[in-house]
Amino acid sequence: MNANKIIDTKGLSCAMIVVKAKKAIDDLPPGQILEIETTDQGAKNDLTAWINVSGHELVDYKEENGVWKFWIKRK
Amino acid sequence: MECCSRHVPMERAARYSSILIERFFKFDVRNESDFHDWKIEGENFEYINVPYFELIDGVNSVIDRLPKEKEVVVVCAKGGSATFVAEQLVEAGFDNIYTLVGGMKAWSEHLHKAKVYEDDKMKVYQFIRVGKGCLSYMVISGKEALVVDPSRFIDVYEQVAKEEGVAITHIVDSHLHADHISGGKALAERTGATYYLMKSEGAVFDFEPLEKHDRIDFAQVQLEVLAVKTPGHTPGSVSFFVNNQLLFSGDTIFVGGLGRPDLGGKAAEWVADLYDTVYEKVAAIADDVIVLPAHYANLDEEMSKAGYIGDTLGNIRARNDMMRYKQKQEFIDIVVQNANTETPPNFEDIVAINRGLKAVDIEQQQELEIGPNRCALHHTR
Repeated sequence: MNANKIIDTKGLSCAMIVVKAKKAIDDLPPGQILEIETTDQGAKNDLTAWINVSGHELVDYKEENGVWKFWIKRK
Repeated sequence: MECCSRHVPMERAARYSSILIERFFKFDVRNESDFHDWKIEGENFEYINVPYFELIDGVNSVIDRLPKEKEVVVVCAKGGSATFVAEQLVEAGFDNIYTLVGGMKAWSEHLHKAKVYEDDKMKVYQFIRVGKGCLSYMVISGKEALVVDPSRFIDVYEQVAKEEGVAITHIVDSHLHADHISGGKALAERTGATYYLMKSEGAVFDFEPLEKHDRIDFAQVQLEVLAVKTPGHTPGSVSFFVNNQLLFSGDTIFVGGLGRPDLGGKAAEWVADLYDTVYEKVAAIADDVIVLPAHYANLDEEMSKAGYIGDTLGNIRARNDMMRYKQKQEFIDIVVQNANTETPPNFEDIVAINRGLKAVDIEQQQELEIGPNRCALHHTR
């Protein structure tokens, strides 16, 4: 999937992933796609919950060799 | 337990959760589903749950909901998010903020040691895994020790054996655990102790099948293996009856009720075994025998005055009509009706690891074990 912006949060955990994701997506125009790469398994629940409260859209996600990728559309 | 502005030693805070109840207001910053699924338990806990990602732009929305005069502990999954929020609260002028260092992960790994019993023949310790509701035991007699249902934190048992000047010579698992990774195999490899497990549980590594042993004797301890097909996650649970005084009941009988036979998807079949166990084997055991289970559901309710999880069989029977007055069919109907569809998190992986069918590294073990224990279901009384 093509993303307008990619952020690498590999090695980070918990809060810092969502903090980075939020800052990155705030900089994008509405409708554009942010890709987040993370190695933290627990990030899925947090990202999903954050997306729910923030109103953005989770377009897709997958895991490849221990790296999780999330594609989020700016509201 | 450390904090950003203050310092509380972990051991003191985790000694029981009842200490935390009195001392701390809990501010859980995990997402709502993780919070509802599993949190630090206790009776009169004061809690709020606001996910940290709602506080990225500031903590103003929660300031009015936090007490100023009482200690507040910020709780998250692994420690990072709590620190993130705690720092903002300190900046906002709070001076009563603590974080649970290592988060719920560390909480789930803490073992609290309590003395259960001592006479001239033996001494027994209970290890309470406060965050997980799991119990393990060490029975010491002469120069030897037997460990019941060890957790994977085997250093703790080795350390206690060293302090007591004894060697761990026997290790028993009452059943194949579905909610946590057993330390039995690793502890046996490290100490050279004999590791006993029911063959019917399907483990594929070398162990001593409990089916071959009616009893295990060492020093001045006679341990009788009550090898009944009791409920559980697989049909090979056993109880251990020690010196006619202590009943290590595994997942058969808890302080608050009976075990759940539904995890194997064969509730109706296994519940008949549970009935036979309770009404034939256990009914013949005296009231003053102390029951020491493998799990508990509520620390405050199930902790004895002496500070361990357990009670006499007489008291447990008196509180639990399911153990006394039921006909077999009625008993089966009630248990099946109450069969719980919620399973311990990741129980299929954990069972595969405990059978030796799967190996994972420490980090994956931690991930798999995070979450609530759901083995100690209480049946309606």
